[in-house]
Amino acid sequence: MTLRFSAFVGLVSAALAAAVFLLAPAQAGAAELPAYTVVAKNGRLIPNILNVPAGVRFKIVVRNEGRDAIEFESLQLRKEKVLAPGAESFVVIAPLKPGEYDFFDEFHPDTGRSRIVVK
Amino acid sequence: MGNALFIVWRETIEAMLVIGILHGWLSARPDARAGFPWLWGGIAAGLGLALFLAVTIMDIQSWVSANALEWFQAVMPLVACGLIFQMVWWMRRHGAGLKKELEAGMESAADRANWLGIAVLAAVAVGREGAETVVFLYGAVKGSANADIALGSATGFLLALAAYWLLSRGSRFVSWRAFFRVTEVMLLLLGGALLVDGAEKLVGLEALPPLADPLWNTAFLLDDSTRAGGLVAAFTGYRAAPSGMAYALLAVYWALALGVLLKLKPMRRKA
Repeated sequence: MTLRFSAFVGLVSAALAAAVFLLAPAQAGAAELPAYTVVAKNGRLIPNILNVPAGVRFKIVVRNEGRDAIEFESLQLRKEKVLAPGAESFVVIAPLKPGEYDFFDEFHPDTGRSRIVVK
Repeated sequence: MGNALFIVWRETIEAMLVIGILHGWLSARPDARAGFPWLWGGIAAGLGLALFLAVTIMDIQSWVSANALEWFQAVMPLVACGLIFQMVWWMRRHGAGLKKELEAGMESAADRANWLGIAVLAAVAVGREGAETVVFLYGAVKGSANADIALGSATGFLLALAAYWLLSRGSRFVSWRAFFRVTEVMLLLLGGALLVDGAEKLVGLEALPPLADPLWNTAFLLDDSTRAGGLVAAFTGYRAAPSGMAYALLAVYWALALGVLLKLKPMRRKA
């Protein structure tokens, strides 16, 4: 029983790991998505409101112009991304329903807050 | 200083909990010595993984695409969740039986698979959040390096280390049964949190359908974007606005944990 369970967990892990490499290129079309830029600087996220249309996939380009690391995070948007000083990256956000979605810089939680307003 | 303290504590505490519990479990059974090299090996591999991921994060364009990294970070917690479940299973089954089996030289293939499980779990626990700590500290050193941040980080790390120490020595202070009960629940809670983390990320990557989005919204009770809410989320899988998918999986997980796992009796030994 235990052996079979171990084998099962092992198999599932292997399958998931394989999926990473097989499925990863699925979002290759990210280049054509509407892009919104968020700049992190001195512990703040700029701008502090992004207006985004509902039901549209888009990407947020995050650029860290600050002097220390940041972590772009939103449990609501299901994203977290750590950026070293000077780094730039992006997250692709699945189509959203109308509403407000908070995101913040987990390394500067008191000052680095921002929000996406979806209409 | 307060912020650096909190970040480093928060990023290292998960690994310390997992390793502390595994260490406590292994050291409470002198017969389980064989597991130690696996645990240390796993930690070493985890540090390597953390450094590799940190370098990848900091130099994102060159060798691993941002997308592959996101996938990896979604799958890692799911693997850890599976391993935690398996580990609790194994600990339960071997409540009393391990010693006799090992003495009789009957270490089965299943046990060897579990040592490997311990190593991989330790590696994932260290590597997952360790990478973020490395990037944070790198940024702190490169950018606004000052005594405050250094002191805060060191204190945060020591606090997490204290939790590790308490756990790894815990079974000496309280009864084995109490230690096992408490750590078992902690592991299962953490497993649930990892499951939700992985599932939510896969939903975010549009690899899993959300089913209901959101299932409900309890931000007015506890907002998961606050520090306290984030902490509860990290250790229990709480989400203010979870997807139906993540919580359906969590419901299955807890049904299995409560209905099957916690009812398991130690394996009967042959007389």
